[in-house]
Amino acid sequence: MEKCEYCELLEREWSVIASSADVVIAVKDKVITPGQITIFPKEHFTIMELVPEPILQQCIILANKVSRAIFESLGSQGTNLLVRNGLGAGQDAAHFGIEIIPRREEDGLNLQWEPRQLPEYELETVYNTLLSAIEEAQQTAKKGLIAEKKIVKAEHKDNYLLKSLKRRP
Amino acid sequence: MADASELSEEQRKQLEEKLKSMSPKELKQLQKQQCIFCQIIEEKVPSKTVYEDKICMAALDIAPASKGHVLIIPKEHYMIMPQVPDPVLGHIMVIAKRLSQLMLKSLRASGTTVFAANGAVAGQRSQHFFLHLIPRKEGDHVLDFQEKIIPKDLVQKVKASVENRLLELMGVKKPVDETNTEQIGAESGNNVVEREIKKLEKMPTQANQKRTRKKSIKKTLKNSEKSAATENTPIQLDDIANLFK
Repeated sequence: MEKCEYCELLEREWSVIASSADVVIAVKDKVITPGQITIFPKEHFTIMELVPEPILQQCIILANKVSRAIFESLGSQGTNLLVRNGLGAGQDAAHFGIEIIPRREEDGLNLQWEPRQLPEYELETVYNTLLSAIEEAQQTAKKGLIAEKKIVKAEHKDNYLLKSLKRRP
Repeated sequence: MADASELSEEQRKQLEEKLKSMSPKELKQLQKQQCIFCQIIEEKVPSKTVYEDKICMAALDIAPASKGHVLIIPKEHYMIMPQVPDPVLGHIMVIAKRLSQLMLKSLRASGTTVFAANGAVAGQRSQHFFLHLIPRKEGDHVLDFQEKIIPKDLVQKVKASVENRLLELMGVKKPVDETNTEQIGAESGNNVVEREIKKLEKMPTQANQKRTRKKSIKKTLKNSEKSAATENTPIQLDDIANLFK
């Protein structure tokens, strides 16, 4: 079987900028514009829906750092974050990844869509469809759509630190 | 918002002085008052909200790229992604994933685009950072662009120029960045932007890495310098924030 473009990148030292246990940051050779950097899980997950949430969180947090690094070292004036998730979204390699694209004035890139004015009834229909899908999902999964564990933990940590500060004589 | 062209030089100065004398807290309050997304979050402006929790909300875009186009908006006012604390950003992405899954099912989308814009040149039009989640179908022409193959030496150059700063950001962070992420909002966020602007000012010397674009960079820099000097554009939130960088 032919190897996936991203899995191949993993082994190409001159492309990989950095990696953690689960996530890789690399420069692809097929890009929208030079300077573009891709963040992807080491494991071969095809689409976003299959990426475990802790790994997905790592990816986006690293993507944010990449965005800052691009800002600060490539002299760009802005960045775009892009995930092409699924064939319909133009995904061309079967491996989930987040792209960070450096932007400059008059760079000739067109990463804008035509805004559409939907008739009220269509908006209402899609609104209701999404609402009921979300409600249903919240009911089936006991924990709901919310994953706040991490943040709650962080609050505890702060409280603990505060307490220990107060305890000091 | 007042239009700068309606203000006299004197009034402009007064306004700038007033803004300068405001505390970061007051300034944040002002930003929130001026921000349409903060108004939506506070339910002062109606929206079609499909999901909401303590950290973020998801609402239908009023000028969507496609049917079901949703914005995932952090409740706190962050202007750009670098200001968003890691746990908040992680949470927003998880919500994007879960909503995306529901879009594939309920809207029969054959994919979703996750998109964010940082900075006006990247197409950012609001002063509140958020993620776009766009349900997609093949051939919908929502985002059409060409990709090109870049040679190995350019790949290596990109790697070399970003590597140091990125590793620094990933490695042991400075105490200032490390402290309570909750407080990151205004202050260290502004430091980040300040650093970025300093880099931009130094840029012409750094630009040799990108020979081909050097000329156009210089040109755009000059243009933006010029427009900054003449400044007859209306006062934007950006300008207000810029005063405090």
